[in-house]
Amino acid sequence: MSIMEYNGGSVIAMVGKDCVAIASDLRLGNQALGISSNFQKIFPVTDRIYLGLPGLATDVTTLRETFRYRVNMYTIKEEREIEPETFAHLVSSTLYERRFGPYFIEPVMAGLSRSATGGFKPFIAATDLIGCLNFAKDFVVAGTASSKLYGVAEGLWEPDLEADQLFETISQTMLNAVDRDAYSGWGVVVHVIEKDKVTTRTLKGRMD
Amino acid sequence: METSFALTGKGYVIVASDTTAARSIVKMKTDEDKIKVVSPHLLMSYSGEPGDTIQFAEYVERNLRLFHIRNNYSLRPSAAASWIRRSLAQSLRSRKPYSVNLMLGGYDVTIDSPHLYWIDYLGTMTEVPFGAHGYGSYFALSLLDRYHDPEATLQEGLATLKRCIDEVAKRLVVSPGKYKVKVVDKDGAREIEL
Amino acid sequence: MSRRYDSRTTIFSPEGRLYQIEYAMEAISHAGTVLGVLAKDGVVLAAEKKVTGKLLDLSGAKEGGYGGSGEKIFLLNSNVIGGVAGLTADANSLINYARSAAQQHLLQYNEDIPVELLAQRLCDMKQGYTQYGGLRPFGVSLLYAGFDQQHQFQLYHSDPSGNYSGWKATCIGANNGTAQSLLKQEYKDDIEVKAAISLVLKTMSKTMDSTTLGSEKLEFAVITLDPETNLPKAKIYKPDEIDELLQAEGLSKKEDDNAMKS
Repeated sequence: MSIMEYNGGSVIAMVGKDCVAIASDLRLGNQALGISSNFQKIFPVTDRIYLGLPGLATDVTTLRETFRYRVNMYTIKEEREIEPETFAHLVSSTLYERRFGPYFIEPVMAGLSRSATGGFKPFIAATDLIGCLNFAKDFVVAGTASSKLYGVAEGLWEPDLEADQLFETISQTMLNAVDRDAYSGWGVVVHVIEKDKVTTRTLKGRMD
Repeated sequence: METSFALTGKGYVIVASDTTAARSIVKMKTDEDKIKVVSPHLLMSYSGEPGDTIQFAEYVERNLRLFHIRNNYSLRPSAAASWIRRSLAQSLRSRKPYSVNLMLGGYDVTIDSPHLYWIDYLGTMTEVPFGAHGYGSYFALSLLDRYHDPEATLQEGLATLKRCIDEVAKRLVVSPGKYKVKVVDKDGAREIEL
Repeated sequence: MSRRYDSRTTIFSPEGRLYQIEYAMEAISHAGTVLGVLAKDGVVLAAEKKVTGKLLDLSGAKEGGYGGSGEKIFLLNSNVIGGVAGLTADANSLINYARSAAQQHLLQYNEDIPVELLAQRLCDMKQGYTQYGGLRPFGVSLLYAGFDQQHQFQLYHSDPSGNYSGWKATCIGANNGTAQSLLKQEYKDDIEVKAAISLVLKTMSKTMDSTTLGSEKLEFAVITLDPETNLPKAKIYKPDEIDELLQAEGLSKKEDDNAMKS
């Protein structure tokens, strides 16, 4: 029994055409016993960056608070919002600080970064629990259902999906993957990030 | 074995905890109060490692009181819960962590609403409509899934609690005998005889 | 001889006074005016800028940042704005301290810092600098305009000695006496933000040295509740927004004024 599976939970992020999406389940458990069906694991960092924190639930809250603190301090000192690439390195270094006594979290982030021409470029990344970055071009997964998420996403994802298609793809991926995982499920939340808006939807799924 | 339940209703939170203090297989005491009124509108039930429980509960109580004296207002339930959670999370990665599980029920007078938090010794915290700790939770949670109503009156809430207690008494091998029940609402915290 | 009691802050004079603190307050009474008015549904802050000129690069203030030119009005936290009068360099260090104190409160309690508590944090530090050896007090007075769940909208003032107090309307910096007597006459207890904005601008135009109001001499901020989220919304006006506001209030300088001067 690994500590990474103690509370359960999964997160996935996907790239679309000028948009990104990030989704997670809503379960909090104590091994097989369900405690809450409304435990958020995805948090807004800026208007255009969302961070998912699957893993040990105490560290979900601790890291959420830590990142909020560090990003706020960054914003205040720099007088501008943090860029996704910069934030990814902030995540990485924060986790590596605890190299020999880590937070049991595998963060996933999704955002739109500003390009030199003033447009926006999709950005997703994930790290392991000690902060090793993985910049992917298609999708990233983490959590107790990660192996299932890989399989479904591999089959459903295709390049250049529009926002509504991306929403459909990530929702189906998530719903079908968590149905095969005992530790994830109890509802799904999906955020689709576009250049001028973020759409957040909560899906019911199998609530058993 | 140690068991605690809590549930919210219309404008109140009920927190119930068994009253046994056990050591190994022996019941040392059957009238132990394991629910502390930590501030005027905040109840905290605690269970876990004996010694740690009381130490931690008093630590919380005194810090919340100090905050009140210093700043002339009590922390809201959400703020108190966050502070308590942080204390446990920091303790978890210390040399000798506190091993205490909590149900924190409070009434937020600034926005007039009841709040209930489920917190374990790891520092896991989540706001719940109802919750339970200990072996009793395996029976109570499924009952509460079926019977809990967030709009229930205090009478109905207590009836639901009674169901949980009866079920645990009926099915759990090592069921506790007596329970202490406390309620917090807009008028503050008080004890209730079942 | 009097030098003996001047050169160190920690020493009382024979009359029982702390000269350095009095000098610090004196310094502030020559600084640009900062004025605050507490309304039923918000707080209004305005400040007179002293450092101006054609060659001063204010491009940073026009876009980006939190608004303001970084001289008088600052965002301390999402629920508090601060206005400073006195030594700008000292003020910057206090503002840094306030911002990190606010963030630390957020980290510890998961809620925005109450306004009075933030004022207390800064005052604890300010007081420390009047007592411990070899240090000079902060030459800064602050106004804190903010909102919290406990006491709703609030306006506080703190001075270099570490004293603070809550106000319905107050003024620090140059001509604060005139401004305060004006405010005393004009203030009504159930004033709303819209009227408070007019009151602030009217009082500013009467107390400021320059005859005309304009974005190059004025900083302006309002904190209200966002009707949608019901959360405090701090707005520090950008230069063109200030000019727009002055136009709407009929206080902006007229074209022919300039023509006459030149």
